[in-house]
Amino acid sequence: MNGKRQQFIRGMKAGTPIVMGFLPVAISYAIIARQAGMDTFQIALMCLMVFAGASQIMAAGMLIQGAQLAAIIIATFLLNLRHIIMSTCVFEKMEPSARAPRLLGAYWVTDESFAMFTTGTAKKDLTVWFFLGLGLITYLAWFVGSLLGAVLTNFLPAILSASLGVALYALFIALLVPGLKGNGRLSALAVLTAVCNTLLCRVMASSWALIVSTLLCAFLGVFFVDLGEEAAHEQ
Amino acid sequence: MSNKTALLLFLGMTVVTYIPRMLPVLLLGKVKLGPRTEKFLKLIPYTAMSALVFPGVFSMDAARPWIGLTGVAVSGLLAWRKCPMVLCVLAGIAAVFLLLLI
Repeated sequence: MNGKRQQFIRGMKAGTPIVMGFLPVAISYAIIARQAGMDTFQIALMCLMVFAGASQIMAAGMLIQGAQLAAIIIATFLLNLRHIIMSTCVFEKMEPSARAPRLLGAYWVTDESFAMFTTGTAKKDLTVWFFLGLGLITYLAWFVGSLLGAVLTNFLPAILSASLGVALYALFIALLVPGLKGNGRLSALAVLTAVCNTLLCRVMASSWALIVSTLLCAFLGVFFVDLGEEAAHEQ
Repeated sequence: MSNKTALLLFLGMTVVTYIPRMLPVLLLGKVKLGPRTEKFLKLIPYTAMSALVFPGVFSMDAARPWIGLTGVAVSGLLAWRKCPMVLCVLAGIAAVFLLLLI
């Protein structure tokens, strides 16, 4: 069966590892937002509206420092510019579909849903319905996690919240590694990007460094990396 | 923070977050991509994920950057051995938890 409903459900299932990664980050977000003077309603509403982990944490941090609203909004824009790249990859890979569900799917494009969809998804599931399932489950996890965090703030041992911080990095690595297996040049490209971004982060804001190193290294990769299928096409 | 201020802030953030996410939906069909551009787009997931991890993972515990590194190494090793993704993530968390206990 490969109906819309089945694709949607498979998308939700595929989102489970992201849920595992989101919960701890959502909890940390809630803890910081609480320090910024946001109440439980505001903490949850921000998740439902904005749905962008890194910028929500940054915004809470800026509020603590007394930043102006306009400054927070501009910083959010800069931080989320990277989603142009990720969204392009997602929709480029997706089978053709109507515009309305795509526009809803775009709302749920995150670093994580992008990574899962573009590297961890079987060909038959590269549809908008699969992506909507994936998006919805991550959206709910982000919302529920922030509520949990808002309630748990005072009970969670610090060492546990600290170790949960590795969850998203672990998720990205777990998505990255299988694709690199058996492709030395692609692995070299990943290492090159890591080095490049580490260096760039010393000279510019990390949100810019991420965009520059992602684009620059992918561009360099075009000239020396073989992606099995491509090579066959071009010969 | 008053609800009015909060709503204003959230609305602004929502708009500037959604625009980069939806622009490709409106623009993609209109441009025909060449093979090089397609290859470029296919490489981006790899470079982006690498850049999302490094150097961020080192700053988990700024004084002991190897803690985060060990965590993702454990996850990476399990992923290499084709373990389910949830297991990879949980093992990474467990490794960091143990290291922080020491």
